[in-house]
Amino acid sequence: MGLRDALFGRKKLSEPRDDRLFALATAAVTLETELGLTTAGKAAVTFKPLSSGDFTRVDTDVESLIKAAGRSAGSEIERKSDSYGFEWLIVHDDDLEDQVTAVHAVAQELTDQGFGAQLLAAPFLFKGYQHPVYWIYGFKRGAFWPFIPTGDGQNRDNAEELELKAKLEKELPVEQDLTRWLALFDAPL
Amino acid sequence: MKRRSYGRDAGLTLRMLFTTGLLGLLYVFFGLVLVYFLNVGIAPMIILLGILAFVQYYTSDRLALLAAGAKVVERDQAPDLHDMVERLCGMADLPKPKIAVMDTPVPNAFATGRSPKHAAVCVTTGLWHRLEPREIEGVLAHELSHIANRDVLTMTIASFFATLAAFITRWFLWSGMFGGFGGSNRDNNNGPPVWLIVIAVSIVVYAISFILIRALSRYREYAADRGSALITGAPEYLMSALQKISSQMTLIPQQDLRQVQGMNAFFIIPARARTMASELFLDHPPLEKRMAALAKIAREMGRPVS
Repeated sequence: MGLRDALFGRKKLSEPRDDRLFALATAAVTLETELGLTTAGKAAVTFKPLSSGDFTRVDTDVESLIKAAGRSAGSEIERKSDSYGFEWLIVHDDDLEDQVTAVHAVAQELTDQGFGAQLLAAPFLFKGYQHPVYWIYGFKRGAFWPFIPTGDGQNRDNAEELELKAKLEKELPVEQDLTRWLALFDAPL
Repeated sequence: MKRRSYGRDAGLTLRMLFTTGLLGLLYVFFGLVLVYFLNVGIAPMIILLGILAFVQYYTSDRLALLAAGAKVVERDQAPDLHDMVERLCGMADLPKPKIAVMDTPVPNAFATGRSPKHAAVCVTTGLWHRLEPREIEGVLAHELSHIANRDVLTMTIASFFATLAAFITRWFLWSGMFGGFGGSNRDNNNGPPVWLIVIAVSIVVYAISFILIRALSRYREYAADRGSALITGAPEYLMSALQKISSQMTLIPQQDLRQVQGMNAFFIIPARARTMASELFLDHPPLEKRMAALAKIAREMGRPVS
């Protein structure tokens, strides 16, 4: 990829890696018993829509599919768009595993339809600390990173985030490159 | 289902390959001539230029920002800009570059830096204030594509020997003016003198490489436009952004233009006081051609743009 990109320019976005998503469900016990973090009942998957007829059709399919799946799992699906032009499918469910399953289903469906490259990230909201804690899964990276907005302006609690990284590294694939720890300050969760 | 990615352009790939190949051939020929006629006399110059090029390449992010008078802004100074760049980087799978702002009403943007890890994106205040958010996003995605495509590296390598040729031409003309010809008077008796051959070859190499480098630069603009369309998924916003930027570029006074003219190779649309005669000598493709290429990508995506 590297040399070809340099010679001819990138021709496509990288494909998503959703294989490590379930690691969060596995780490749930550690999160709760050792770190005191429990799910706040909310997770989301965010993607960049394409302005193409093809995508609009697939988009509607995915939404109705995931809503139907949500009903049978007892979770509620909500859709929002943000000011940066990203679409959000928000999962309300008290069970972390159901959240992960729902997010995975969205990612899988978009990938199957050929639009996997449009996936950006999946934030999972946790409570138990002074500030809300997000574990964000980056689809391009195939790894998680913590995100703790302090609520005053656009500040994040880097110390706490790094501590979470250190404590959970063994159980969860945590993004090692700190420059990739994307913030989602106005996540409509 | 595996989908063919949008914005594939076999013609562009072929032209890039052809140009790069020609440039490579030209430089090999140039190198052979130098070695054949000058033996080692030229070595110190090559080493010196190599060091210069390396330093330039190594400091390109800071140097370009400094030259443009741009200031690096932190998150609390420009939160919206940071958010926007961060998400686009997420889509493009790039580390977040330094973000800088240049205080001028001319709407424009550029990217620089030797690698994605040492890169910077700069926007002018004019761009930020005069364009819609989705248009700014298109422009930023174009600049991020330059970073992803490693354009600074490519252009540094591409222009290295052209710089050498220009140097040699000047050097020999200078030493010619003052007598001694660099101690290369081995075969003064028969055939044209060595310095004449070297000057002639250098001039030819410089002229040809100038055109080839410009061509390569134009192709890389197309590639970055395509990259922008891929990242944002909406080429129509980049199209309207280009339209706005280029119409604003001609409105602004001469003073500003001269000030920023040195930065042209990096800008999304070059600042130019007057239009140049031929496309052959331009480092950016003409607006109409860029628009046509973007419209083609938009058509491929399924929504026609007139």
